[in-house]
Formats: sequence, C-alpha cells, structure tokens
Amino acid sequence: MSTRDKYAYYIEERTLNVTERPRRFLEAFAAVLNSSSYGPALDTYTRLTTHCGRCAVSCQLYDVTRDPQDIPCERSEMLLKVYRRYFTRAGLFKARLFDDFTLTDEYLDQMADAYYRCTACRRCKLTCPIGIDHGLITHLGRYLLAEIEVIPKALVVATREQLEGVGNTSAIPAAALTDTCEFLEEELMDMYNLPAKYPIDVEDAEYVFFPAVSDFLLEANTLMGNAAVMHVTGGSWTIGTGNFDGINYGLFYSDRMLERIVKNIAGEVRRLKGKKVLVGECGHATRSAWFVPTFGGPDAPEVVNCMQYAYQQLKAGKLPLKDEKITERVTYHDPCNIARNGRITEEPRELLKAICSDFVEMTPNRTENYCCGGGGGTVSIDEIREFRTGPLGKRKADQIRATGAKYVVAPCANCKKQLREVCEDNDLPDVEVVGLHDLLLRVIDYTGFTEEKAETDTDAAEDLLKPVKEGVEA
Amino acid sequence: METALQWARGPIFWTAFAFMILGLLRLVVITVLDIRHIMRDAGDKSLPVGQLIRTTLSWLFPVRRFTHRITYSLTTIIFHVSIIIVPIFLGSHVMLWERSIGLSWPTLSTTVADVLTILAVVTALAIVVQRTIFADARRLSRFQDYAIPLLIAVPFASGFVAMHPTMNPFPYEATMLVHVMSANILFILIPFSKISHCLLLPFTQFVSEAAWRFPSDCGTQVAVALGKEKQPV
Repeated sequence: MSTRDKYAYYIEERTLNVTERPRRFLEAFAAVLNSSSYGPALDTYTRLTTHCGRCAVSCQLYDVTRDPQDIPCERSEMLLKVYRRYFTRAGLFKARLFDDFTLTDEYLDQMADAYYRCTACRRCKLTCPIGIDHGLITHLGRYLLAEIEVIPKALVVATREQLEGVGNTSAIPAAALTDTCEFLEEELMDMYNLPAKYPIDVEDAEYVFFPAVSDFLLEANTLMGNAAVMHVTGGSWTIGTGNFDGINYGLFYSDRMLERIVKNIAGEVRRLKGKKVLVGECGHATRSAWFVPTFGGPDAPEVVNCMQYAYQQLKAGKLPLKDEKITERVTYHDPCNIARNGRITEEPRELLKAICSDFVEMTPNRTENYCCGGGGGTVSIDEIREFRTGPLGKRKADQIRATGAKYVVAPCANCKKQLREVCEDNDLPDVEVVGLHDLLLRVIDYTGFTEEKAETDTDAAEDLLKPVKEGVEA
Repeated sequence: METALQWARGPIFWTAFAFMILGLLRLVVITVLDIRHIMRDAGDKSLPVGQLIRTTLSWLFPVRRFTHRITYSLTTIIFHVSIIIVPIFLGSHVMLWERSIGLSWPTLSTTVADVLTILAVVTALAIVVQRTIFADARRLSRFQDYAIPLLIAVPFASGFVAMHPTMNPFPYEATMLVHVMSANILFILIPFSKISHCLLLPFTQFVSEAAWRFPSDCGTQVAVALGKEKQPV
C-alpha cells in the first residue's frame, strides 16, 4: 500500500512496514551477535562476497530446481542484507540517506522458506573461493527465525520431549529402554549365541553410549552390531538411563537448544563417572557431540564415534572377522555432518573393505559427497517428503543407481530414513539401506566368545552360587 | 593538463596509495583481532590449522579448481594473475619506485607485460560478458559486480595505449591522466569494496571456522538477553 493511500499526509515508506516480528527478529539478532562468534564472519562475508556464482554448480538442490532462491550465495545474501542494513555503520548511514531496505514480515517468510529448503550440507562451502560458509549462514538464519517461533513443528516437538518431557526425542521411558536392551541381548543370544550385554548405568566405564535414540525403535541390527563389537573387543561401556539420546535438533534450529542438549550429555557422562562420549551411528549426533568441548566445561569428555572405535579395534587386531566376506555389492554414503569437514571418511571405508568383497564408491564421495537430501533436520518433516525425495533427493538417487549396489551403508539415523524414502520414491526397490554395524554384526567371528544355551548358563551360575547362598542363609 | 598530471601522479597518488595501504591494514588488524577475541572466549579452543592453511593455499593457487565451468574459472584466474603481476613488476612502474623511494626489484619483459596487459583487459570484459550469459551469475550480480571489472580494465587499457603511441588516437598526457586517475580511484575503493579480498583472503577460512567456536554459554546469554530463561521450549 502506498503511503498516499493510507494517510493524507506524507509519512516515510518504512514506517508502514514496521511490525512486531521484524522487531523481535532484530532484537534476537542483536542478542546473538553480542554473545556468539558470528559477528566477524558476517563482517567478512558482507565485505568480501563477490557474488561469483561458483556455488551454484555445487548445490544439488539448485541443480534440480533452477530456482534462484536455491543458489547458496543468493540465500546467504538474504541474511547478509539484513546484517548490512541494521548492524553495520555503512548500512545505517545508507539508510539515513535513502529510503533503504526494511525488514518486513513478508521478507522473513521468504527467508524461512529458503532456509528450510537448504539442508545445511555445506557442500557449497567447498566451492566458494572466498571461503564463505553458507551452512553457517543457514544455521544462524534458522536460529534467528526460531527466536520468532518459526520452527518446523517436527523439530520443536521432539526437542520439547527431550528437554522437558521424558528426556529423549522418541519419548522412550527408562524402563522401556531396559526392556529393549534385554530383548536385544536375547536376540544376540538366539542368533549368534553371543552373551553380549548392554551395561545399564554402570559407573566408571570408559565409554558412555549415545546413539540416535530412534535406533532403539528402528535399527535393532545397528545396536546389536554396536553391542557385538563392544563385547568381542572387551570395551568398557555403558548406557545411562538419565540420558541416552544422542539426537540434538538444536544443531538444526537453535544454539540455545544445542547448548542445553550438549550440556545434558556431558552431565550424564559425569554422573556415571565415564571418560568418553561414544556416539552411535548418527551424523548430526556426532557433529553435535563435537560441541562437547565447547559447552562441556574445562574437563569435557572426549568424543568418539562408534565407527572410529571399531576401526581402532580392527587396526589393533582386536576385531576378529570371519573369512567369508559379504559378497553383495556395497557402497558407502558419507553423512555430511561427519564427512564434509573430512573428520570421518576413511575409518568406515577401511572397515567396509575388510568385510566386503565388492565395495564400490559413489561419485563424488568423501568431503564432496552429495547430501542424502534430508539433512538439517528436514528428514523429520514428513509433510515435505515429496520435496525431499524429489528435488532434494534426485542427485542422491542417481548416484546410488550408478553404483548398482545392493547395500547402501549409511551410518546415520537421518540419512537411513531419508535414503529409504529416496529409494522408494525414485524406483530403486532392490536397494537396501543399512548401517555399518548391521554388516559388522554379520561378519564378526564369534568363535571363542559364544556360550551355550542360556538355561545351562543360568544353571551353571546357580551351581556356583549355591555355596555362597547357603552360607548367607546359615 | 601538465599540472593536472603532475598532481595526479604526485600528491593524489600518494594520498590514494597510503589510503589503500592503511585501509587494508586496518581490515587485516580488525580481522585478526576478531579471530583472537573469538578464540579467547571460545569453549573449544582447537582450530584445525593445518587443514585451514591447506584450504587457503588451494584457493590462493587454484591449480586444481577447474572442475566446473572451465572457461569461467580460467577467465577469472588469468584476470587475477595479470592484474596482480603487471602493476607490480612493470618496468616503468619499478623505475618510478626506484626514483622516488630508491627501491627496485626484477621487472617483466615488455612483451610479457604487453601480453598480460591485453589479457587483463580482455578477461575483465569477458567476466562482465559471462556474468550476463549465465543465468545464475546474472541473477547474483549487483551493479558493482559489473562496474568493478570494467573500472579495473581502464588503467590497463590506458596504460597499454600510452606505452604504444602508434596505436594511441588520444594525446599522451590525457591518456596518462586517465591511467593514473583511474588507478587512484581504485586505490581509494579497494578497502571499501569487495576488492579488499586481495589482502583478506588468507584469513577468510580461519574466520569461517572460528565462527563455529562458540563461548560456552552463548545460548544461555541469548536467553537472558531476550528474557527467555524460563520460557518452555
């Protein structure tokens, strides 16, 4: 509406556009700049961004949609524009001279749309000559949007359950966890005669285990693989009933939540007097756990991913493997959160090469790998499945198809769910998406670790305990 | 004209040049102090320094970066190489430095300088053309993205014709005035514009990485500032 239509006298255009949400957005922006480390990066980016367009060729989403709002640089510019206008001297000066850009409700809505189309996979960072981390901008943009309550419901509901409800994102009570672990122990016994245990609340263990909690509901094989590896390698580990969820949606939408969830993890390790955080097969859980040194205080526990642990043990010769390898073709999907910065790329490959006879790489791979299409928490948003498996997942589907693999190993709870849907929706019915530990479970050589049937075992224990019991009774 | 030229290559040049140097140094100092400040307050004080240096070097010498849009990449690389090398190592520039401050260094042969100068002008124009050809680059381009390469081409083109009087339809002094003044304008613009990446580039990878090194209570502080400590999720 032009100013003339609304008032008889002239008022500045921007006065009309002042609403509540933009004000709160800017207040949050100011608060975040005051207490976080984003400021210098934003200064540098606003100064140096050359708008060269190189990032356009690296984005798997823009590659398919050709929608300008999906060009990483364009998307980042949305937030940089706000920063330049309201938080730099040049911007404030310019706004005094001219009727400059004003943050509006509509602009915030566009931003919200753009920042949740991006999966924050950070692939574009690799192709930016200036070194702009567009993933950082998406991360910050979502954080600020969260402060004005623009958050996908799926993410906020899970976080609420984790921080204020039962204590984890899947709302599994501690008693149900214990039951599940017992069930998995029985399964391991039935399948392999393996008396592996899930040690619950054991103090002084070296590793306190934090898988994506949804694994307890959906990925039994992965968790059995974890227990099997720990058992045969003699690892000292435990699962705490106080907190057994590695999932941290704070990484996807709010540093405030990120901090609280990471502090809870560090707190649980301290409660159990454990030494290290052992993260299960999950990309974002691992990357969030890497924030333990940030939020966990000076004596923060070390963070180890379960694949790193398994690889260490393999290298040390402590992980016995059967002679028969897995013969079906296997390929490996690098979860962005652990592979993009090059921190975990080789360990899983070494493990897979040791257990598979037909391992093939996707192209591109490792740090340059395509996102599964469900990164940045978008996989939890069921409403956008069509978008996730369509424009976002197309590149991934093409990549998988090109390998001709039977098994896609994806050591990440989010990637697994997304890849299964991608395969379903992109006509890849024969592909099976599994975790790395699912395969390890099948090829570990259990000779020397097995026990006969549980009953005999209990009987033997009874016999041993008999004199003790009698002594107590006497 | 004579006086104008003397002013342009005398006091105006020195002012503009000093302005550029001081402006760039200011930016470098700010950036370095910012990184130090972040790392001082950060909960996690580790930085993958080796990896960051490798990434920075791979962009400073982008020999392996020809995977996409080869012409565009090649154009920009040739552009950068020639506009960095020619002004610094041109024989007549070095001579001027030697005359004024007594320092000299090896120079380019005239042929190499000529070739590089022509390349600089051609690639500057090619960058502008390619920005209009590729839909995504066109969409991203602002006024300055077209103006700066064209502005950079001016001192190179004018310098070239000044050195080759037979090709020059304009009077020598007018050409030199354009040459010197366009360069002076660029010197002033450098610290204020995206061209400041000429000195800041070695720091950007560090800034991006440091931005993830939060203080250990950054979230709590935001909650307090916004009065949201007690607010449920």
